[in-house]
Amino acid sequence: MKPENPILTTLSVAAGLLFLSPVLYSVWMSFQTADAFYTGKLVFTLDNYGRAVGEFNFARYLVNSLIVSGLVTVLGITVATLAAFAFARFTFRGGDLMFGATVATLMIPSHISLIPNYLTLAKAGLLDTYAGLILPAISNGFAAFFLRQYIRGIPKALDEAAYMDGATPLTVLWRIIVPLSRPAIASMALYIFITEWNNYIWPLVAVGKQDLYTLQIGLARLYKINPGEGLVDWPLVMAASTITILPVLIGFLLVERHLVRGITMGAVK
Amino acid sequence: MSGIVLRNIRKTYPGGPTVLHDVSMEFHPGEFIVIVGPSGCGKSTLLRLIAGLERADAGEIEIAGKRANDLAPQDRDIAMIFQNYALYPHMSVRENIAFGLELRGMPRAERNRRAEEVAHMLQLDAYLERKPAALSGGQRQRVAMGRAMARNTSTFLMDEPLSNLDNALRVAMRTEIKELHRQLGATIVYVTHDQTEALSLADRVAVMKDGHLQQFDRPEAIYDRPQNRFVASFLGVPPINFIAADRLPGWQGMQGLTAGLRPDILTVHTERPARPALEARIVLSEMTGSDLLLHCDSPAGRLTVTTPRRERMLAADPLWISYDLDRTLFFDNDSGERVDLERNVHSIFNTEE
Ligand SMILES: Nc1ncnc2c1ncn2[C@@H]1O[C@H](COP(=O)(O)OP(=O)(O)OP(=O)(O)O)[C@@H](O)[C@H]1O
Ligand SMILES: [Mg+2]
Repeated sequence: MKPENPILTTLSVAAGLLFLSPVLYSVWMSFQTADAFYTGKLVFTLDNYGRAVGEFNFARYLVNSLIVSGLVTVLGITVATLAAFAFARFTFRGGDLMFGATVATLMIPSHISLIPNYLTLAKAGLLDTYAGLILPAISNGFAAFFLRQYIRGIPKALDEAAYMDGATPLTVLWRIIVPLSRPAIASMALYIFITEWNNYIWPLVAVGKQDLYTLQIGLARLYKINPGEGLVDWPLVMAASTITILPVLIGFLLVERHLVRGITMGAVK
Repeated sequence: MSGIVLRNIRKTYPGGPTVLHDVSMEFHPGEFIVIVGPSGCGKSTLLRLIAGLERADAGEIEIAGKRANDLAPQDRDIAMIFQNYALYPHMSVRENIAFGLELRGMPRAERNRRAEEVAHMLQLDAYLERKPAALSGGQRQRVAMGRAMARNTSTFLMDEPLSNLDNALRVAMRTEIKELHRQLGATIVYVTHDQTEALSLADRVAVMKDGHLQQFDRPEAIYDRPQNRFVASFLGVPPINFIAADRLPGWQGMQGLTAGLRPDILTVHTERPARPALEARIVLSEMTGSDLLLHCDSPAGRLTVTTPRRERMLAADPLWISYDLDRTLFFDNDSGERVDLERNVHSIFNTEE
């Protein structure tokens, strides 16, 4: 690390505070009572969290979000890694076409596939199920594309050495490619997780049962079920919001150290 | 122990030129084969074909008597040392060496013991827990050797395994490899640029050029009876001298030949000798230890001669260079092929002069 430059430090702290200010403000607000807040006084309470979790069912939504985003991440990263390995390392009939199609999906706005997905799942009887929430999100063209580029940067001689050592293609993937792609895979997993966590439209379309609501749906509903026309219970909404962002924040902190770039080289002279 | 047969192998990389033209060779079980040739002549490609990492466009590869063209690398029971090492960067030296054993289901304790044994042989004991990134080039090269040696396979393919070592270590490793070959009785196919390595290690040497096999024979035969000018010039240090045959003093033989004179068949005289000799002047002299390497200009062209170190040699001007007629090689000017004149070589010279 370079010696600290006081001007740079001040500027970064200022910028950090600026970006964080809405979040900090909402967290601050979530600990106040509504009455006090609207009259400009300060009264601290944990009530908002209690109400969000109990009365408004956010505990259930949190579990749903964790199940859905967790499974989408695990399944999605698995599918993307397998596809990326195939695209990066094997030439097979239609391979280029399939890769082209994968890249092309990046250009299709998700709203266009909304209706076809809905109809498909309706036919399969998967609306209002976890599977209905999870399945459409598993295929992630961007992750497959990104990982393929990354894997192409790993010297192919390593695969070949492993084959000479007696490895099968899946062994090569699991023992050589995956460990060397860990930073990329961690980044993509985080990306998939956050995208799915923040997904609003699809859960809204695919799920009607309140038991299957994710946090995003629950949060949106909070405005409507709030009593008092035009007078939203903001501290309650902010408590719910805080519950919604917290897991992502924790997840990021857990994964962050894996995001460090650069494979330890020294494999090839 | 298994032999390898290559029959009319042709290989063209997609969108590239043909790298191997109709190469046919047979390696007997337990033989030490060395492949030499200039950079880009297709040596690595040939090894990769035997390993199963590339597919031949035409021809047949047989391993242990069975057609192997369609066999996957992991099914060929061949160990390979790559030109660029290809060590697993995320594994320690120990894991690198033991990986192949692990994949073959050897229990952990046993493969650890084997890895340590191999590491000891290669003087890598101190580095067992290091990652490749923390090793020097020579150390990496030894790990690559160790990875191949750990498995007791019947065939080793080595692509310039010693190219990055310092001289002392190279000589030591050369002995080690020779010893390994003697112990295991494995077939070794060894690619190198270094002709000392080629001549000293090989049971048989294959010389390649531009994807064509030039000659495949015992080292003595390659050195003493090279098939053509290319083979003659590729092996031998300092390199062979070529001069037009009719510039040899006393030459009365046929036209259109080039004489090949290895520096060690030339003798330097300070006085004009009785035998036919070329008059020459020293252009440059190099000390090589016990010997002197003299670069001389003669009417027939530039000649390089090795001679024992004697000061008066350097002062002589002009000096005289005679040659051993029996060991002089002759090549056809047009085809470059060696021409056998042995039977009548003396009759075409007027030794009286
Ligand atoms: N994957 C590839 N695609 C296209 N051309 C290739 C490929 N690999 C090698 N070549 C070409 O094939 C020729 C032979 O290459 P090869 O690596 O076999 O040479 P080499 O004899 O091992 O050379 P060196 O002594 O420099 O290692 C070269 O001209 C090279 O450019
Ligand atoms: Mg090579």
